[in-house]
Amino acid sequence: MTLTILNAVLFSVVLLLAVGFYGLLITRNLIKIVVVLQTLVKAAIMALVLAGNTSGNPGLGQSAAATVLVADTVVAVVALALAVQVRRRAGTLDIARISTLRG
Amino acid sequence: MAGILIGFVIGIPWLGAVALWLTRDRNSSLQHALAVGFSVAAGIASLALIPFASARTVIDLPMGRYFGNLTFTADGLAVTLTAIACVVGSLAVIFSVDYMHGEAQLGRFYAFVLLFIGAMTGLLLSGNLLFMFFFWEITALCSYALISFYNDDPKAVAGGIKALIMTQVGGVGLLAGALITYAALGSYQVADLLAQAGTMPANLLTLAAFGFLLAAAAKSAQFPFHTWLPDAMEAPTPISALIHAATMVNAGVYLLARFYPAFEQVPGWKMAVTAVGLVSALITAFMALTATDLKRALAYSTVSQLGYMVYAIGVGGVFASQFHLLSHAVFKALLFLAAGAVIHATGTREMARMGALGKQMPFVRNVFILGALALAGLPILNGFWSKELILEAGLSAGPQWAYDGMLLGAGMTAFYTLRMTWLVFFGTARETFHVHDAGRAMKVSLGLLAAGTLTTWLLAGPMSETLHGTLPFHSIHSLSLFGLAEEIFTAPATYLALMVVAVGLVIFWMVRHQATTWRENSQKSGAGNWMTILSRESFGFDWLNRQVAGRTVQFASVLQKTQTGILSWNVVGILSAFLAILLYLVWSVK
Repeated sequence: MTLTILNAVLFSVVLLLAVGFYGLLITRNLIKIVVVLQTLVKAAIMALVLAGNTSGNPGLGQSAAATVLVADTVVAVVALALAVQVRRRAGTLDIARISTLRG
Repeated sequence: MAGILIGFVIGIPWLGAVALWLTRDRNSSLQHALAVGFSVAAGIASLALIPFASARTVIDLPMGRYFGNLTFTADGLAVTLTAIACVVGSLAVIFSVDYMHGEAQLGRFYAFVLLFIGAMTGLLLSGNLLFMFFFWEITALCSYALISFYNDDPKAVAGGIKALIMTQVGGVGLLAGALITYAALGSYQVADLLAQAGTMPANLLTLAAFGFLLAAAAKSAQFPFHTWLPDAMEAPTPISALIHAATMVNAGVYLLARFYPAFEQVPGWKMAVTAVGLVSALITAFMALTATDLKRALAYSTVSQLGYMVYAIGVGGVFASQFHLLSHAVFKALLFLAAGAVIHATGTREMARMGALGKQMPFVRNVFILGALALAGLPILNGFWSKELILEAGLSAGPQWAYDGMLLGAGMTAFYTLRMTWLVFFGTARETFHVHDAGRAMKVSLGLLAAGTLTTWLLAGPMSETLHGTLPFHSIHSLSLFGLAEEIFTAPATYLALMVVAVGLVIFWMVRHQATTWRENSQKSGAGNWMTILSRESFGFDWLNRQVAGRTVQFASVLQKTQTGILSWNVVGILSAFLAILLYLVWSVK
């Protein structure tokens, strides 16, 4: 496999996905989970641009990527706000301890 | 105009449901007032819809390629049943003002009642099979939520779960029928199915026909699903009157009537419908003979009367079945609400503890007797006309053995009806209760339903006219009131049926003193014994139904283990699904 620009992008997509999933598996801190989710979404955005380019329709890929970027920012903001609330109410950001709280 | 009214009959109750949900149990008189206001408004809108009955589609909203258009059609069948649902619904809500007085969580109660009324009208008016299925499921959900309204009572919760699971089995049948229709005709429209049923491949049409029969049997608590309805009697009594006597359980009969022209030609379908109706009518009438719980006895009789309607459709008497549906909705709601007044006053449902309540509750006694006479089928109450119409249709078009069975059922109906009335209001007082007659709100709804029991048969003319004019695929003759009276009074079958009813009444009259002691007898050996056991076990079908419900709950609790709520496990699940898809893609490229 020669290192063309396409392969380089594909490689980074896979790398970002792997980092994201690995992080999701081992992280227990709510803020870090938001960060990791952002990593995953960035991989998806790159994949969209790549797919647009390879299918000969780069405009579509880029506009989809821009849409995801906007939606994803909103998600990140809300998730962080929720994390702050969780910290205030439950006193911890550790998801394993939050999930044992009842009621 | 019709479109606006359709929006009203579905929208007003749902708006009311939201409003009551938002009241949050702070002010119970506001909740009563809101519920009565919204339901009465829906009732008025439904009555105003009747003159606009027509066969054409009134509302037509495109919903994308895969769902078909969301259509509403206000034809004769739909508007009649909508009026029943909304009017009986508003009367049940008015009754609840007294019955639910002082209960906690009224917001939840009324919100589900109103959600139910809206969903029921949507189910009736929908011209799209898929959306009919959605409304169908919402009614099942409301039924479940209201049966389990007293959610600290394990019996109520179990009854609700059982009803939910049993009606879901039927829901699968309806969904299958809808999907088969879409596969064969490329459309979910009811009108298309009725028009083009003949062009469908025979095996697919048969599958759809029996799928709909399964749905109808489960929803209307027909054989072999007849055991969920008695268990549903844990619900507050206005709910039993509204959902489990006057409206939701009629949805099955409505479904059969609606699609009768499409499935009429399917070999064996009419016979199956006839048999389901006959078996249901007979075995539940038998169970009603020995029931000692007042509401269970009424529930058995509801299944039995629904059996009559299903039987009528099986022998081709679509109008007779819908006419009996109207009569039954009115007099059975009356009986249930009157029973509710008794239960409210005495605090028990056990007939073995009641007796001689008639003197203390004269108003309730009088309306209960009126309803009981209609149920037994005595002239000139509404139950008489419709039941005779069914029996006549059965005699002229159905098999003789089925007719004989239904005639026997009429005798049993007379017997258990008189037994109920006797055990509650007459005879000797077995326990002393400090009872009061029904309250004002109760009297309003009981009085209106009693008036309906006396008069709804006068609607036979206009009703048949509307059905005749607006159902292009059904062949319903328009029948004037005079023609109906002539048809019934000149038929020898009528007098035969009346004689059977009289025999039933006389037999009970002769054994009436033993009726009160049956409970004790059943503990010893004797005639009461095997009958009680057989009834309690629903001829073994209660076991079957319990198994189905129990296994479903077990399976669900196994599946529950997959919902750990732990993020890492969920990620593992996502990743393995992702890898599986990837491997499949790689594999298929090779």
